[in-house]
Amino acid sequence: MKDPYEIYMLEPERISFSRGPGGVFQGVIDGKEYEEIIVHRAFPFLYTSQFISVRDAKEEEIGVIRDIAELDEESRAEMERELQFRYFLPRVTRVDSVKHRTDLWIWELQTNLGPTRLVMRNLHEHMQFPGGSRIVLTDMNGKRCEIGDWKALDSHSRKQLRDVV
Amino acid sequence: MPILDQLPGAIRSALPTEPLFSARTDLLIDGLFGEQWLTVTETEITVWNESGSPLTAIAVEELKDARAVSGIGGGTLLADTASGPVVVVRYTAALTSIFGFAAKLLSSMAKGEERPMLSEKELPQQCPKCRNPLQEGTQTCPVCKNNGKVILRMLGYAKPYKLQMAAAAIMLVITTLVELVPPYLTKIILDDVLQPKDTGSKLLWIVIGLAATSVTMAVMQTLRGLIGVWVGSKLMGDLRRDIYDALMRLSLAFFDRRQTSQFIGRVNSDSEAMRQFMTDGIIWVTGESLKMIAIFAIMFNLSWKLTLLALLPMPLMVVFSLTLWPMIGRRWYQQWRSIFRLNVLVGDSLQGIRVVKAFGQESTEISRYQTANQDVVRNNIRIEGLWQGMFPLFSLVAGAGTLLIWYYGGWSVLKGEISIGLLIALITYLGMLLGPLQWVSQMINWASHAISAADRVFEIMDTPSEVPDTRDPAVIGRVRGAVEFSNVTYGYEKHHPVLKNIDLNVAEGEMIGLVGHSGAGKSTFINMICRFYDTDTGHITIDGVDLRNISQTDLRKQIGVVLQETFLFDGTIAENIAYSKPDATPEEIMRAAKIANAHDFIVRLPDGYDTRVGERGHRLSGGEKQRVSIARAIIHDPRILILDEATASVDTETERQIQEAISRLVKGRTTFAIAHRLSTLRNANRLVVLERGKIVEVGTHEDLLEKEGIYFKLVEAQKEMSQIKGVESA
Repeated sequence: MKDPYEIYMLEPERISFSRGPGGVFQGVIDGKEYEEIIVHRAFPFLYTSQFISVRDAKEEEIGVIRDIAELDEESRAEMERELQFRYFLPRVTRVDSVKHRTDLWIWELQTNLGPTRLVMRNLHEHMQFPGGSRIVLTDMNGKRCEIGDWKALDSHSRKQLRDVV
Repeated sequence: MPILDQLPGAIRSALPTEPLFSARTDLLIDGLFGEQWLTVTETEITVWNESGSPLTAIAVEELKDARAVSGIGGGTLLADTASGPVVVVRYTAALTSIFGFAAKLLSSMAKGEERPMLSEKELPQQCPKCRNPLQEGTQTCPVCKNNGKVILRMLGYAKPYKLQMAAAAIMLVITTLVELVPPYLTKIILDDVLQPKDTGSKLLWIVIGLAATSVTMAVMQTLRGLIGVWVGSKLMGDLRRDIYDALMRLSLAFFDRRQTSQFIGRVNSDSEAMRQFMTDGIIWVTGESLKMIAIFAIMFNLSWKLTLLALLPMPLMVVFSLTLWPMIGRRWYQQWRSIFRLNVLVGDSLQGIRVVKAFGQESTEISRYQTANQDVVRNNIRIEGLWQGMFPLFSLVAGAGTLLIWYYGGWSVLKGEISIGLLIALITYLGMLLGPLQWVSQMINWASHAISAADRVFEIMDTPSEVPDTRDPAVIGRVRGAVEFSNVTYGYEKHHPVLKNIDLNVAEGEMIGLVGHSGAGKSTFINMICRFYDTDTGHITIDGVDLRNISQTDLRKQIGVVLQETFLFDGTIAENIAYSKPDATPEEIMRAAKIANAHDFIVRLPDGYDTRVGERGHRLSGGEKQRVSIARAIIHDPRILILDEATASVDTETERQIQEAISRLVKGRTTFAIAHRLSTLRNANRLVVLERGKIVEVGTHEDLLEKEGIYFKLVEAQKEMSQIKGVESA
């Protein structure tokens, strides 16, 4: 019997993940098959590939993965994809422009998932600074993008950002 | 109007019938940005790529259920088929609502249930022209709307004072004109008195003229200043009042998402910035522009050639202003944001000063403050530095004009083409002209500062209440108190429902105990009855009238609340008890306190009912506050009573007293009570057990114990707990 008040860390060798024929994330954990698995990052800002809470379709926690790097090749690839789907947080590769038009701030961005545009009512409620030079942008509809290190972007992007961060 | 995107012709023609539903995604199935189309017909669910070729298709007969699984910043539409779950489409958070509807539609099709209707709330709020999101409840797109509106709207505040403003303007015209006289008089002194060595009385008269202009100017400026102060203060007052009105009108949901400490600073500093622009700024701009026109006229009259020369650097100055304008605006906002962050930090740590001290974290707080403070310093230097750099730059450019006049004007004097007096007058006028030009930068500062402040202020004013009052409310009078929930779903964050499909029928006078783990939705449940939030789907009725059709004032008159966190306003105990009924007689107040078991302790206080409580007043204990708030609910005499953990965090004896008070209070009223100590819900007619936003069990205490379900487990767990406590205290 598991202690319900203890975090259950999953053994990397006892778990494997795959994608079902319908594109749904599934896996086998401690010998038990799960048709649908939901994953949560416990620290989505600090540890993006560590401390992943693995849950069944009813959102009951099965256990926590310490680091997805410990998983086997296929499992890790699928896990990374699933996290990317669930945490839709494109990484900004270039800031094309930041414009202030009447009431809205409009960001034209290039991300690792393609170009996009964010629209904000103001900056002070839509920009988060989780630490260092990281910036998380959330637009009016809840769409989010992340700038890993704004000081490491190209000079055009930095110029766009200089007066808004 | 937000409308659904038109299905491309290529896809429409590939379909045998008009689709039941179609929508565009903004993500591809592999999570990259891109567009796909989803169509639903009676027989098939199809996903198409942008050019109109089908990608996947699922037959409706295979479908068992469908769900919208929301992730962070996006979501997935999942179809449960006979062969397992299938990912249909992926989308970003912007489209959660529309695909949430798609999931509902598919699910109802699969189960053969009644199909849901697409409501306006579920359509993506986008401007059809520019695809920018629209604010909820508004129809006008802020990007497509007129730019000068903010300024016009700001000026609207000056309207009631147009008489005073006009007076100030007239004085301004006079001062401006008078100001232009001295250089001309100087010219006359030079050309007509000093050079011809005229020893007559002319010099005296001219000096008297100079003195007269100085006196007039002084008087006018004083008067104008006084009017400015008066109008300014009034304007400030109006602005602050409107912002505060707007804040009070906003629904709770607005405050849930924001820290309240920011508003204090916002109301004050933003209205000050707007005031400055409207009084000083506008008067100054009109004054200076007037002066400039007059100077131009005079200079052209004196010597048009030299004037043109002097104006050569002007285009350069305009270009400077135009490039620097947007930069300054942004930096002001940046500066504002860093101060805002600093204020939030201070507000936070001072409100939680007990926790800070208790954990000995003063030094961490200091260093946190220090970091934010450095940010403010850095931004301050940036904006002020830019400002300081602009100033000399403008003077330099402007100075070039003066140099030109000196050189060419000097030659003209030497050649005898113009007089010395004329040259000196021209140079003086030019100096006066370039002065305001340099100050254009200051004006830019003011204006952009004020516009960004106005932006923020109007943002608050324009935020529609999420629980709008109906235009013609139903007259409910004194209600009986029957409450009905039908199929109520609600989430603080849309699409993360906290309450799911709640159905409950409560008869008048019934007491309902709400039970469940924390986070099960109990508090949300009662918030819905108070209509602090509106349901996402379904509706709540009181005596058969939809809550949305009752005016909020009427509704709150019928509802009394005793909350877990009792908040007493700054004022006396009597005032606090009579909060909802300011005309209550002393006798009524005492009676209410007596019923609430509060009378005795209040009378024993040195100041009795006149004891000041609240932030600056006497400290009441938790139990005492609780009883005062019960008295407040009693005097309100509501038909529907809400008790949220009224006995949390008090000792057993106080709890007994509060219990007693409550049992007197609930008599004859429809009551909803939340309590962690299940024993306090013994008197409830029915208990409603909530789990993860759903009602899982309903029944009396005995019924539910017999059932040995969730309630039974909760009771057992508490028994165990109290045994442990018993051992500890023994």
